Order: sequence, then C-alpha cells, then structure tokens
Amino acid sequence: MKGIKGVVSKFYVGICLVFFYLPILVTMIFSFNSSKSLTHFSGFSMRWYGELMENTEIMKAVYVSVTVAILATLISTVLGTLTAIGLSRSKKVLKDAILNMNNIPILNPEIVTAIGLMILFTSLGIRKGYFTMLMAHIVFCTPYVITSVYPKVRNLDPNLANAAMDLGATPFQALTKVIIPMIKEGIFAGALLAFTMSFDDFVISYFVSGNGVKNISIIVYNMTKRINPTINALSTIVIVVIVGVMVFVNFLPKIQKKLLKVSKALKRAVAAGCVVILAFLLVCCGNLSMGGTRILKVYNAGEYIDLALVEQFEKEYQCTVIYETFESNEMMYTKLSSGETYDILIPSDYMIERLIKEEYLQPLDWDLIPNKKNLLPDVMNRSYDTGNRYSAPYFWGTVGILYDTAKVDEKDLEDGWELLCNPKYAGDIYMYDSERDSFMVALKALGYSMNTTDQKEIEAAYQWLIEQRETMDPIYAGDDVIDNMISGNKAMAVIYSGDACYIMSENPDMNYFTPSEGTNIWYDAMVLTRDCSNVELAHEFINFMLDEKSALANTQEVGYSSTVDSAFETMKNEDYKGVDAYVPDVENENNEIFGYQKPEIKQRYSELWTKVKAQ
Amino acid sequence: MKNNRRNVWMILPIYIFTIVFVAGPLFYMLALSFAGQKEGYGVSWSFTLENYAKILDPVYLDTFVQSLKLAFVSTLCIMLVGYPFGYFMARLSEKWKKRAMLFLMLPFWLNSLIRLYGWVIFFQKKGILNTILIKLGIIEKPLSILYSYPAIVVGMIYVLLPFMVLSVYSSAEKLDWSLMEAARDLGASSVCAFVQIAFPLTLPGLLSGVILTFIPSMGLFFIADILGGNKIVLVGSLIEEQMTRAGNWPFAAALAVVLLVLTSVMILLYRRIFHVETLEGIG
Repeated sequence: MKGIKGVVSKFYVGICLVFFYLPILVTMIFSFNSSKSLTHFSGFSMRWYGELMENTEIMKAVYVSVTVAILATLISTVLGTLTAIGLSRSKKVLKDAILNMNNIPILNPEIVTAIGLMILFTSLGIRKGYFTMLMAHIVFCTPYVITSVYPKVRNLDPNLANAAMDLGATPFQALTKVIIPMIKEGIFAGALLAFTMSFDDFVISYFVSGNGVKNISIIVYNMTKRINPTINALSTIVIVVIVGVMVFVNFLPKIQKKLLKVSKALKRAVAAGCVVILAFLLVCCGNLSMGGTRILKVYNAGEYIDLALVEQFEKEYQCTVIYETFESNEMMYTKLSSGETYDILIPSDYMIERLIKEEYLQPLDWDLIPNKKNLLPDVMNRSYDTGNRYSAPYFWGTVGILYDTAKVDEKDLEDGWELLCNPKYAGDIYMYDSERDSFMVALKALGYSMNTTDQKEIEAAYQWLIEQRETMDPIYAGDDVIDNMISGNKAMAVIYSGDACYIMSENPDMNYFTPSEGTNIWYDAMVLTRDCSNVELAHEFINFMLDEKSALANTQEVGYSSTVDSAFETMKNEDYKGVDAYVPDVENENNEIFGYQKPEIKQRYSELWTKVKAQ
Repeated sequence: MKNNRRNVWMILPIYIFTIVFVAGPLFYMLALSFAGQKEGYGVSWSFTLENYAKILDPVYLDTFVQSLKLAFVSTLCIMLVGYPFGYFMARLSEKWKKRAMLFLMLPFWLNSLIRLYGWVIFFQKKGILNTILIKLGIIEKPLSILYSYPAIVVGMIYVLLPFMVLSVYSSAEKLDWSLMEAARDLGASSVCAFVQIAFPLTLPGLLSGVILTFIPSMGLFFIADILGGNKIVLVGSLIEEQMTRAGNWPFAAALAVVLLVLTSVMILLYRRIFHVETLEGIG
C-alpha cells in the first residue's frame, strides 16, 4: 500500500517537473538548429552561439544582469541583516512600521513598485540607467533579506552580545564573531533569494531603466516579438552555468574539509578575490557608460537599422553611439517629454509635424549633408515638413494587406479593406495593434479621409472596428505578426509594406496589396532634437546613413523601402524583383499622409481604441 | 545607553532608505493620482477626482474584472497542481526531497522571460505540440494555442507555481505524520485521515500560496503580452500603456493605487481571518 503511494507521489512530482523543464528543453534543442525556424529542426549547428558572442547588445545585457544582481544582493544583504538585528531591539511600534512598510514591495504586484520608483526617479531628475536599476533592485531585494533574517535574530538570546562584550569583545567583534555566525543560515537564504529575484526581474527593470541600459529580461521581452534563436543559445548557456555552479556548491563541503587547515587564509584569499572582482566590475561599468569622448544618442524604432552600420560609424568617426529603440511613436514622445534627452530621433511623419509644432526639434544644416543629392525626389518636400527644414527621410512605404495566396481567393481582393470583414476569413486575420493604423483602415473602408475630425465619421469608424472585432475575432498584434505570417499562421494581416517585403522573401505564398480606396503612405525621417549635444556629429550620422553604400546595406537588412535613389533602384530591380510591396504606390490619389491631430481628437481616438481592444 | 546609540546606527540606514525609496514613491504616487493631466503630456497640480472617476468607466472597470478573473482562474489551477506537488514532496525521503527541491528551484535562476519564450516555440502553429498531437491522431488540424486564453493561463501557472509549491511544502514539512498514522490505526480511511488531519494542518500553507500567486498575477502584464498577443487587456497592461505610450501618468498612478488598495485589503482579510503574522514560504 505504502509502496504504491510512494510511486504515485514520485510520479506526480516527476510529471510536474517535466512541465517545468519542457520549455527549457525546447529552447536548448533549438539553440543547435542550423536554420532560423522554430518549428523545424534542420540540422545541428553552433551558428547561434557564434551570433550570440558577436551580439554586443546581448552581451552587455548579460553583464548588466549579472553585475546588478551581485551588487544588489551584496548591498541588500548587508542592509537587510543590519536592519533585522537592529529592529529586534527596537520598540514594537517602530519595528512594525518598518516591517510593514518594507513588505509592501513583496506583497503587491511588482508594477505598483515599478511605477512608483519610475515616477520618483523622473521627478528627482535622476537619469535613468544603471544606477536607477541598481537602486530599484536594492529596494525590492532588501525586504526578502529582512524576512529571512529576522526570524533567526528573534530566536537569539539577547544576552549573548552582552556576554561577549563583558568578556572583552568590542561591539564590532560581538557582531561579527557571535551574532552573525548564529544567523548565518538566514543571511545565506536571504542573499540567495535576493539574487534570484534580481536576476529574474523584468517588470521593475523595464520601468526604471533607460539610456540604453538593459538587462536580459528587457532584451528578451523586446526579442520575443521576432524569432531570434540567439535567445535559445543564451538560455542554454545560462542553464549550463547554473548547473555548473550547483555541482560546485554540492562538492564544496568536501573540498572545504580538506582545506580546513588553511581555511582561514583561504577565506581571506577568497574575500580579497571577491573584492578585486567587484572593483574590476565597477571599473568596467564605469567604462561602459563613459566609452569614447564623442557620444551620440540615437532613438529609433525597434529592428529598424542594420546594427553593423552603427558599429562602422563608431569606428569611422571615433565616437560612441548610444542606440535605443522604441515600439511606437507615442512611446518615443512620452519618453522625450518626460525629460529624456536624445540627439537624433527617427520618428514618422505625423509625429515629426507634432514635434516641430511643439518645438522639440532644431532645423538641419543641409550644407553639412552632401549626400542630400542621393535622395529620391518622391520622398522630399512632403506635407509634414515642407522644404525638409527639419527632417532627412530615412525609410518610406505604405500600409496594406498581406495575404496567403493559398488561402485567400483573388476575387475577394476587389472588396478592398472590406476584405477584413469577410466572414470567410473569420478568426484568420491579424490587425495591427495601433490606434492610428486601425482607424485608418476603418475610415478608408468607409470612404472617409483618415485625417478626419468629423465626430460622426470617427464614431462610424469605431462601430466598424467593433463590428469587425465581433464577427472576425482578429488578433491585435505587434511585430510578432512578421514571424507568424512567415510560418503561415493566419490567412491575412494588416501590415507595413517593408515588413511585407521581408515576409514575402521568406514565404513565397504571401502577397501584398494596397486597396484602391487608398491607404496611409508614410515617411520616417531623421531629425535633430533641440537639446542635441553634438550637432556636428549628428549631421555626420545623418550624412552617413544617406550614403549610397550604407543606405543599400540598411534597406537590405531591414527590408523597408530606401529613400536613397540608387539603393531603391538596386533593390527594386535585383533583391526584391517582383515584390511590389517594395515600391510604394505614389499614383493612387486616395493615399494620404497622416497629419497633426489636435489633443482632443487624439484623446478621442485613444479612448475609442482602448474600448475596441477591451471589448 | 551605549547599547541604544549603537542600535540607532544600525537602523538609521533603513529608516532613511524606507522613507526615500518605499514610502516616498507611494505617497508621491498617491498625490499624483489626484492630479490632472496637462494637454498632451505632463502633470498639472490641481486636485481632481477625475482619474478615479475614469476608472469607473465600464471599459476600464472591465480590465479590473478581466484581471481578477484571470488571477482567479490561474490561482485555482496553480492550487490544483501545486498543492499535491508540495504535499507529496514533503512525504518523499530526505534524499529525494533535496533532489526535488533542487529541480524545482533550478529553473528559477533562468530568466522567466527566456522560459516563457520556450513556450512560444512549443505552442507555434506548426510547432512541437501540434506536431505531436497530430502524429498521435488526437487532432487533425493544428490548434491555435498561442495567443489564446489557455496559453496565458499556462504561462501564469508556469511562472507562479513554485511559490505555491514552496509554501505548501513548508507547512506540510512541519506536519507531524504520526498523527496520520494514529488516525489510520484508529480506523480512519486514508481519505478521511487526509481530510480531517493533514488538510486542515496544511491549510495555512495553501492559503499563503494563494496570496503569493494571486497578487503577483494581477500585475504580470508581459505574460498576457507574450503568450496572449495582447488579446485581453489587464490592469498591468493598461498601466504600462498609460505610462509608456499614452503618457497619462496621473491616470496610471490612480490605477496603481486602486490595485494597491485591492491587494492590501486581501492581505488584511487573510490576516484577520487566519490570525497569522507572516506568510509561509517566504520566511
């Protein structure tokens, strides 16, 4: 009887553990895949490990994660231990107040702590980065240390310290030789917990970091939107390191026994070693933030540049580029207006118009940009910035529908945007998770201007979206659309032309069209901020990006339509021959550029969009 | 006298620390939640209840309902899976206990976002799960599991299960198993013995596990994002949206305050009803 029970319980625990290791195993297997696919194993290769080592962004993030975790653990362990010892001798009221206050970060959703700290740092004018991340980690690690050490201290005989001092120990000796050894276990447990929490943290780090400082979680969060097997390689390495450490710790007691005689000297040596390593790490982190003398801060949309170009620029112009990415223009605007400073931004047309109106930008000095001659006439002098006083076009394109030729009937394409309401394809479409693009689709489908301010038309578009949501059950996706369409997960998707190019080159079943009712034709451009700290270098960067060679490399990597004439022609006639998504439709008179929206209109759209999504 | 002064030096850092980094942000957030939003971006410091009134809008209220629902469903699943796990683990032999604990904790040190990414791969339409199910003849067409509600729940269970297991385990470990044996000797069936003795004695562990999983699950917006494809809007996602994209900080602060009050009330109730000071598993 008992035997059976034992088997059952072991079996159950085993099954649960399989559940725990399943996703880890999957990432480990696919880290050795020779192709980019996450569904098909095409052969063994170490390719992704090579790419991981070359990916400076990930390596920096690993460095940040590890050092922040170590420093936060050390500091919060000292702070938490002192607190626990100190509190045990304090009055009850004070003790309870401190304990309860410090429990708040543990006992509440992390996001509450996160935005509290974000607001605090911003209002104090502290630049977000390594320091703010470290401070935040100390804030949420300390309570864990206190909760594990405090019960041990409470069980101590309060006379022990006094006895030690009566026997001639100094207070410091009493602390280090009597008290701490007795609560050692609690301190270790607390430190371990703190390290785990810090290393694993995403939510808090996400809100309090900035200026290019990211930890592993933030990198992975940004990457999950696109297939990137380097994450798998990273995962495998982390696992191997952890297992290695575990084995080492398990064997440590045996080794220690042997070394018992020299243990004192050894301990000192280990301690000294730790201090040296720590100092080294700190120096490195100083270096990371300082780098070269000339610094350029560029803020661009995610996955929107050939990063090799940034490195090339750094080398050629002997400077350091702090390269940061945003998910949407709105996100960029929020950061900018909350006081973050950048030198170069690469936003979209309507946002540029707004930034010009609100005086966030400074005019370009086109004399410093000789490569202006390379630009296509089609992208110049558009309504958002007539005469291109402020902006140098970077990429351009349209928004359209990408469809699977195997699933979608060509005849249905005549419906234009209404195709997205065809019940035949219910449950089989992606919409774009953006209020502008979704309302553009709805307004154009109804035959209105996408820049309308007419409340009735806006209301009608809202109804269109609600109805579409009810009948079609679309998914409001972000960049993850790209990988999903490559693997053919859905029949169609609202998509940007550049992404369509990339998908069509990976999956020949896909095709792209822009409905005749018109669509959004858009331009993204490089602009200089008002607070730009190095105007000369910023112009050099813009000129560099408009160079024929770099523009070609950039458009080849990203897939969006180049604004540089020769690169555009090369792509059109060679790389993307026959991919019409690469050539934006400038003929259709129904196409429009987004314009500046008055705040009340913007507010209205944003509220309606939240309602559509939360329906 | 001397003793007291030394003590002051020991706890002075934590006082300053608590006031600046824990209490400070909370009070600032509270103040901000009563402030207005300037046109476009920014805060105008005039007292208003507008942000709280806005939460009562059915759309935003619904995000709270959705979050509570998801938290409830996830916690229920975690309870069903985690309770037996923790209970069985406590009954294993010392050697196996240690091993099981090690295996439970190991994934903890691997970043949770990386682990969630593993699920994304696993759930792909032409991914491993669908391939296996089709090969086994259970389904004919691949299922769209990724970006669905069950996927989010799996993610929640995956990230939060260890908290439940550890707190159940720590109370089951303290259980005096001879009580069970005594009950059996006196003629109770094994089910009866469990219901009458083991379950009530491990209840505190179960309940603290519930608190430890229910509360974080309200704010883990990235799980709904990565595995749910933004299909449902949770309070966490709404706060994130207001902070990073919409730029309406006062409203985000109000949402956070409501969340804080909600969870604090839950913890308070838990403490009142069960007369406990600390939660199991994190102490």
